[in-house]
Amino acid sequence: MAVASVPHEGQADQLYVETRALRLQGFLLFLVSDLVLFSSFIFAYMYLRNSGQGWPPPGITRPAIALGGLNAAILFGSGATMHYALENFKRGNFIRYAWLLIFTIILGALFLGGQAIEYTTLFREHITWAGSGIFGASFFTLTGMHGFHVLCGIIYLTILLLQSVHGVYDKQRYFGLTAGTLYWHFVDVIWVVLFSIFYLV
Amino acid sequence: MNVVAWEHILAVAGGIVVFLVASFALRADWKTPGLDNQVFKLMLGLLALGGILATLTGLQIIGKS
Repeated sequence: MAVASVPHEGQADQLYVETRALRLQGFLLFLVSDLVLFSSFIFAYMYLRNSGQGWPPPGITRPAIALGGLNAAILFGSGATMHYALENFKRGNFIRYAWLLIFTIILGALFLGGQAIEYTTLFREHITWAGSGIFGASFFTLTGMHGFHVLCGIIYLTILLLQSVHGVYDKQRYFGLTAGTLYWHFVDVIWVVLFSIFYLV
Repeated sequence: MNVVAWEHILAVAGGIVVFLVASFALRADWKTPGLDNQVFKLMLGLLALGGILATLTGLQIIGKS
């Protein structure tokens, strides 16, 4: 009975085609739920920021704009490399795809390194999550939550790289890579908003 | 040149590259059908915006510190 339920290759392809749209919708719903999570924190931050004293509060220095700008460029650059990694996979250029994916992972790790430097600088100025009022709480919560997403993305992309090296995906079946690219773009786009509200406005 | 100046220069260079790459990708994908491609286009547009923001930040036109 169990043997009979295992689809052969032709059936598996048909199953893939039939379920791809559902999986895509499911993944997009996941991203929307993540967007709601970030949005609630961002709106809470904006409300608190505009509800009283000047911003940043007295005694609090803003994070360094130069490092923030560089870090943003690094993360946005990783979005571009990820996009072209997927495009190269679709065209069958596996070597270029693999290098672009590795480059994306490295850029993601560099972004986290930049964020670690930024946190260290703020800690030295005694700006912490719990001890610096609304600014510290909102900055470390939002950027920390985003950093956690980047870390998850790095692990996710590493798994995708290993899977593709082992032949899990081919030119007809690569939904995992599409989902990974969507996730990484999502992380980039969230940083466009966070970068704007913490460094630019 | 100090570290901050290098950070500005790299932010400008990175921002320009991201803007150009995202714009070209968006142009190339403009007519592709499918839900995933529509989402990709939206995200590439926002990525291009991010590239502009990083460039302007590196040029010290926008941003507060």
